[in-house]
Amino acid sequence: MKRIKKFFQSNNLVTLVWGIGLIIVWEIGAFIIEGSKRSPENVLPHLYQIVASVFSDKLVSNNQTAIQIVMSNAGITLFRAGIGFVIGAAVGFLLALMMNLVKGVEKTIFPYLMIIQMIPILGMAPIVLAITKDINKSRIVIAAILTFYPVATNTLAGFKSVDPQKHELMYSIAASKFEIYRKLLIPSSIPYLFTGLKIAAPMAITASILVDTLQGGGGLGCMLSQSLRHAMSIYVFWQIVFVSAIIGILSYYLMSVIEKLVSPYKRAKIKG
Amino acid sequence: MLAIDYLDKRLKKKDTVSNGDAVSTDIEISIRNLNVSFPDKDGGEPVNALQNINLDIKQGEFISLLGPSGCGKTTLLRTIADLQQPTSGEISVRGLSPREIRLQKKYGIVFQNPVLYDWRTVRRNVCMPMELMGIPKKDRTARVTKMLELVGLMEFGKKYPHELSGGMQQRVGIARALAIKPEILLMDEPFSALDEFTKEKLHEDLLRIWKKTNKTILFVTHNIQEAVFLSDRVVVLSPHPGRVSAVVDIELERPRSLEIKNTPEFNEMVVKVRKSFESVY
Ligand SMILES: Nc1ncnc2c1ncn2[C@@H]1O[C@H](COP(=O)(O)OP(=O)(O)OP(=O)(O)O)[C@@H](O)[C@H]1O
Ligand SMILES: [Mg+2]
Repeated sequence: MKRIKKFFQSNNLVTLVWGIGLIIVWEIGAFIIEGSKRSPENVLPHLYQIVASVFSDKLVSNNQTAIQIVMSNAGITLFRAGIGFVIGAAVGFLLALMMNLVKGVEKTIFPYLMIIQMIPILGMAPIVLAITKDINKSRIVIAAILTFYPVATNTLAGFKSVDPQKHELMYSIAASKFEIYRKLLIPSSIPYLFTGLKIAAPMAITASILVDTLQGGGGLGCMLSQSLRHAMSIYVFWQIVFVSAIIGILSYYLMSVIEKLVSPYKRAKIKG
Repeated sequence: MLAIDYLDKRLKKKDTVSNGDAVSTDIEISIRNLNVSFPDKDGGEPVNALQNINLDIKQGEFISLLGPSGCGKTTLLRTIADLQQPTSGEISVRGLSPREIRLQKKYGIVFQNPVLYDWRTVRRNVCMPMELMGIPKKDRTARVTKMLELVGLMEFGKKYPHELSGGMQQRVGIARALAIKPEILLMDEPFSALDEFTKEKLHEDLLRIWKKTNKTILFVTHNIQEAVFLSDRVVVLSPHPGRVSAVVDIELERPRSLEIKNTPEFNEMVVKVRKSFESVY
């Protein structure tokens, strides 16, 4: 009884209700389109058809099944997004450190950062491409650009929100600037850093997919535009849509897991 | 007794000491005409947190700052600790400025609230200042164990601050300050969040440590009994503006145990301190 009660109170129930609701809406849509006869099944197939296509071993193109194509391209996209993300996170963190460390840097470069952030990805892509002269490098760079801003702003906010008394404690034992950063500012900004990383991770993947659509060279976005042009089974398209959504969500959870690994006191908080 | 009277008395005492040098090194902290005011944000009159404070604290003395809320106890402590700059006047500690003493890492501070690092366990919180002082790891571990034993938190070393009660957190802060064996211990109402039993135990422990180490302790409190029980002298502050309204010598025998609280002498001292308040209000 207790467990059931707990379940109904928890977030699981909310997730479950949303999940079921979405499935119902989807299926109603699929039935209506099916009934209209005008549209072929590939506008909005039934969910079971998509699931079946995942397990089907029908070769779609290049001697690969649909799921093989999707997964190998997901790997390519994830790899680029991952490299971009790591670079962007590192740059973002260092930038936050610089802005906090050197007076004036924040005022000087923050407006530029904001402007860079405001350019739409698809507008940025040609510029980056012109600079790097390589579409694959551009994809990495754009993932990095989207990552560094939330990481930099959140980390900087973390540095600034340190309890002044904790700072005074360090000061009273004449801690050096280096020690203050190492033992106080950086550890206490970790939760903020991870807030930034959690925002950035799905964004880096989205950006990577979006820039994929611009040119060839593999990746989920590439396959997405090809599948839309009916170059291959429509189920490839739907599988890409779902796989993209799933890896986006997983990237967020991966950040949460890493956060708990590096900050054990948070784990204790949840248990207690 | 007024501050001026006290100074007079001290000067008279000085005459009886043959070696003048011995006296000057005897004084650890000397505060002269100290004023601290905080500017008003809205452009009004500045707040005079401390006005014309004169005070000498001897090496090895246990001295309490006693007074109602807002009379500038914390401000005085912070100014001595170089966390707050004087508006005018002078503080010298062993002939040096508070800043120089701070840079020599001679202060140990217990803040009014615990100020623990929530990502560090209790043990690592107590350890933190020792890391900054470059104390070798082996010594650190041993000292942390000793300190936690002292404040009765042996079983809680591996816990995180948020897993402790407020009083336990405060005791971690005390252990942390004591761990570095500071030359001058500044304590801002360290026991006010604790229950009576823990408080009395820590009173005795603090006196024992003090006796053993012979360090100077500046202890802020708003509890008369506490001030009388612990101190050599009680500095009574009065608010608006914050100033020294009396300095009371506590002429009670040492070592003191809790039983002393039942003696007429103790009550006499309490009454004496309380009277010095009444003369102000
Ligand atoms: N940072 C500050 N800015 C402006 N005014 C301040 C500041 N710190 C203290 N004050 C003022 O100085 C006066 C003394 O404050 P202080 O904190 O020293 O009092 P206290 O004796 O420690 O009181 P309590 O017993 O409540 O801790 C108060 O009137 C307070 O408003
Ligand atoms: Mg105070």
